[in-house]
Amino acid sequence: MEAELNQAVSLGTTIMAAAYDGGVVLGADSRTSTGNYVANRVTDKLTPLTDKVYVCRSGSAADTQNLAAYVQLYLHQHQMELGGDVSVRTAARLAQQIVYSNKAMLQAGLIVAGWDARDNGSVYGVPLGGTLLKVPFTIGGSGSAYIYGFCDKNWKPGMSEADCHAFVVKAVSHAMARDGSSGGCIRTIVINKDGVKRHFLPNNEILAAYGELQPPLPASIAVGGGGAAEMSP
Amino acid sequence: MVASGPFDFDLCSRNAYLESKGVKPPRLTKTGTTIVGLIFKDGVVLGADTRSTSDTTVADKNCEKIHFIAPNIYCCGAGTAADTENVTGMVSSALELHRYATDRESRVVTAMTMLKSHLFRYQGHVSAALVLGGVDLRGPHLFTVYPHGSTDSLPYATMGSGSLNAMAVFEEGYKEGLDRMGAVKLVARAIRSGIFNDLGSGSNVDVCVITRGKVDYMRNYEYLMDKTVARETPVVYPPGTAPVLKEKRWKINSTRPSEAAAGGSAEAMDVS
Amino acid sequence: MSGIGTGYDLSTSTFSPDGRVFQTDYAQKAVDNSGTVVGIVCNDGVVLGVEKPIVSKMLVEGSNRRAYAVDRHAGVAVAGVAADGRQIVNRAVQEAVSYKNLYGDAIPGRVLADRLASYVHLFSLYWYSRPYGTASLLAVYDDDGPQLYLIEPSGAGHRFFGTAVGKGRQAAKTEIERLKLHEISCEQGINEVAKILHSVHDEEKPFEMELAWICEASGREFKRVPAELAAAAERQAKAALADSDMED
Repeated sequence: MEAELNQAVSLGTTIMAAAYDGGVVLGADSRTSTGNYVANRVTDKLTPLTDKVYVCRSGSAADTQNLAAYVQLYLHQHQMELGGDVSVRTAARLAQQIVYSNKAMLQAGLIVAGWDARDNGSVYGVPLGGTLLKVPFTIGGSGSAYIYGFCDKNWKPGMSEADCHAFVVKAVSHAMARDGSSGGCIRTIVINKDGVKRHFLPNNEILAAYGELQPPLPASIAVGGGGAAEMSP
Repeated sequence: MVASGPFDFDLCSRNAYLESKGVKPPRLTKTGTTIVGLIFKDGVVLGADTRSTSDTTVADKNCEKIHFIAPNIYCCGAGTAADTENVTGMVSSALELHRYATDRESRVVTAMTMLKSHLFRYQGHVSAALVLGGVDLRGPHLFTVYPHGSTDSLPYATMGSGSLNAMAVFEEGYKEGLDRMGAVKLVARAIRSGIFNDLGSGSNVDVCVITRGKVDYMRNYEYLMDKTVARETPVVYPPGTAPVLKEKRWKINSTRPSEAAAGGSAEAMDVS
Repeated sequence: MSGIGTGYDLSTSTFSPDGRVFQTDYAQKAVDNSGTVVGIVCNDGVVLGVEKPIVSKMLVEGSNRRAYAVDRHAGVAVAGVAADGRQIVNRAVQEAVSYKNLYGDAIPGRVLADRLASYVHLFSLYWYSRPYGTASLLAVYDDDGPQLYLIEPSGAGHRFFGTAVGKGRQAAKTEIERLKLHEISCEQGINEVAKILHSVHDEEKPFEMELAWICEASGREFKRVPAELAAAAERQAKAALADSDMED
């Protein structure tokens, strides 16, 4: 038991981000585990880098939290020099450079996504080795293995915000249903020219997958028909 | 071999190698521990057991695991006793200087950030697993800090070898907006669960209640493992055991000793 | 004013009693005596023009360049000590490359100008170094559109719609002020620059003109103006000058 608790805290995770015509949607489960103990069941794996650029974190919790803090620091310093907001590309490139130059020390798989005036919504994958991939959508973490087929089939270019959001929630919920290291609630963020909107879907409101029983909903939600509860960013 | 960065972990690799070849490392005094914390209506309650162990031997039956960080922030420590003691001490000192510089109450996130960046730098070799709690201008805060430098912000948290026992109690009994009495009782119950069911934890319950402007540190809130027999030595003699035979009083000389020694005629030091 | 010979002009690390750093003033003089360099921002880009005196009849045409590309979207023309200018250009290239490497984007004009100004300024801070005897005109076309910056030997940096440095700067600036810069394109701009350089040049000595631009016509890349266009601009400038001489 002792040995297990001393293991590195890791985000056995499902994370994803997808671009739609005016912005991006980021999504993540909320489970953090040490060995097979859930250390935090309401984790926030969507971390701000700047006002309109966020990162989805997977891998070691310590590495990704501290990495994100460093990227935040450097980007804010750079914004002082720039006298304006950095682009999503710059944020992603900087994160990638740090991951690559410390790759022997780090276990971090990141997805950097956000909005800027030049490129609108954009998504960048920064996987373990430290490459930088610009992609229309991407998935990451242990849970992603279960939803490659789903995402390849259901992602469409030029989706509406609502469609894209529904796509992300559905993909993450399927990954959580099959991956033991993913679970808890679903956190999503929508970023576009109008700003940043956070959504929180509690565990008991996630649609049951095949073979699962739908938990009974509290009366208030059952009447309202369910849906994402909104949180301030 | 890890070569880059300002830190050198070669000796850690060497120790791991020696261990794999059968060399026995020195035993560290650990706090195989149950520590907990929760947020209630007006603040934070922290709790800890008081057993410290060296391998399977109990090294101290009544140690303190709730460390002072700032007048409004305390921190429970699990892991290697030396590491928890020193890392909390370092942050405490740094925050005190920071308060002198800023003339403002310390914030819990500041303490948390200092702890996590220190622990991250040492890549888990400083084995301190902490539950950090306090009340600042933004209200009550509770964090867990892991040895590798990750942190979680939670309404209720447990750490140490007894964390599973304590968490079971919390998951069953925690509600939002508990009152002080209910919160302290729940914390004590969680610690007891560790003390009685986890081998690494034992002895007594310490509780610390932090509210705005006030801290109530209840050392040995529950004294569970009282001694069954009183120690015979050292013998304590009550006042008056020895009779007073003679009494004489002196008036203390008001002249300064140096002047007295110099015969009172010492010249004033030339300071020109 | 305490002037030359009082000892206050020997180092950049000493102010004169009335608040001047003579060494940087002297560096500025090296620029003021140089061939004229002109820069204008037109409605679709930036044009840089350099007047290069031909120091020898045996000089190969096109040698001693004074306009350099720094990145695809930025270039510099230098006035003053040419060798110093090359160091500034090298630094600008380094800044552009390292910025792109670290941040993925091309370096914005404002950032490049700030960093170059800081770099130049460093040389006027220590007793053991001499300020650069060079003023640089920096032309950039980035997400914020076409921009022109001037970096002086003192480390001061300014952004201009149009400016000139070197011998003929006064006359050139007057000419630039007459132009309606936001109404003309760079294709017209090169003619204006050619005209200005010819008009401010004192006629006795031969000179070569170097033209560079960054605009739609150059594919938003900093390039020397194509030889035919440059030649046409020069012909046209000479003709215009002859016309105005006739009027006199």
